[in-house]
Amino acid sequence: MALKDIKAKIGATKRMNTVTRAMEAVSAVKMRKTQASALSGRSYARAAIAILTRIAGTEAVKKHPLAKEREVKKIALVVMTSDKGLAGGLNSGVLKQASLAAKDFTKEQVLVYAYGRKGEDFFTNRGYTIVKSMENKQDDVPLSSMEELSNELSAGFLAGDFDKVVVAYTNFKSTFEQIPTVRQLLPLSLPALAEVVSGIVPAKGKWSNEQSLEAPASYEVEPSADEVLGVLIPRLTAIALYHMLLESKASEHSARMVAMKNASDKSKEVTRDLTRKYNKIRQAAITREVSEIVSGREALAA
Amino acid sequence: MAKTFHLTIARVGENLFEGQAKSVTVPGGEGVLTILAEHEAFVTPLKPGTIRIDPAEGEPITLQIEDKGLVEVSNNQATVLL
Repeated sequence: MALKDIKAKIGATKRMNTVTRAMEAVSAVKMRKTQASALSGRSYARAAIAILTRIAGTEAVKKHPLAKEREVKKIALVVMTSDKGLAGGLNSGVLKQASLAAKDFTKEQVLVYAYGRKGEDFFTNRGYTIVKSMENKQDDVPLSSMEELSNELSAGFLAGDFDKVVVAYTNFKSTFEQIPTVRQLLPLSLPALAEVVSGIVPAKGKWSNEQSLEAPASYEVEPSADEVLGVLIPRLTAIALYHMLLESKASEHSARMVAMKNASDKSKEVTRDLTRKYNKIRQAAITREVSEIVSGREALAA
Repeated sequence: MAKTFHLTIARVGENLFEGQAKSVTVPGGEGVLTILAEHEAFVTPLKPGTIRIDPAEGEPITLQIEDKGLVEVSNNQATVLL
């Protein structure tokens, strides 16, 4: 490689390093924010689910229309991905899990609700029906937007448009560990709920002490179980969705920060190697020129 | 000293109150009710209104709620979800 080319390459790598470093810093800030909101949201989600689990002993839950199991002919698949890439294996992990969840069904049987462009592109390219696609741009999504989606899903479920709603998202464990997860949202089922609860208890830290899920012997439900469930269940599905979104966002920014950190480290390494190569070639050229001059001079003198 | 119980009042994304309390008064769907320690286990929806907390230490706190909510008591723990 000519000297000029190497120099251009060093310049390009350095510019790339500036970009990845900037993205790393931005992601680090966003990561801290989204992690905090994901973690503080957990206590709420857990409390709501714990209450439902305790009421669930009563028959009313099984009778609730949103909790009724039926033969699954069609499913709604909610896919939560990021809009942009450059986040390591984050999106491919979610999409892989999502395709696994959809593989028992034909393309006509799966209705995709894509939250985030990556998921939308993936399922559009594979010929699935996208019912709704939403952009995943903002970080501070209000709960109301999730309530909208949740109402839409509940309405579709009740109308029989689909018989099951599953959500593919990324569960946030730590900055270095995010786990792509698929969870059943509707029909509400206790094993699925228990899974969500255990899934959102982090390994350590402020929120790690688990609440007891045991139902007390006598449980007074006022004025009636139906009324309480009428408030609790729609709220719970919205919270579950919202919570999954927060987890996805925390995961996205963490994954991107780590990916960008790796990229910055790599570009530094490449710059160092290229500089070394550049110096070597330059030195070789100088040595060659000097020896040419010297040998030319000697030839003249002889 | 009056008996206390663990009280959590949470809204999505923030905890409004968490700690020991002597009593809490909430606007229940069937009328205003006050919960003391050792209250029997129960669940009821809440109407918009005022929540009054008498914490184990410090001055009473009042909170306004504009939205519906839910209160749950079990094992001497009260949880208010807004």
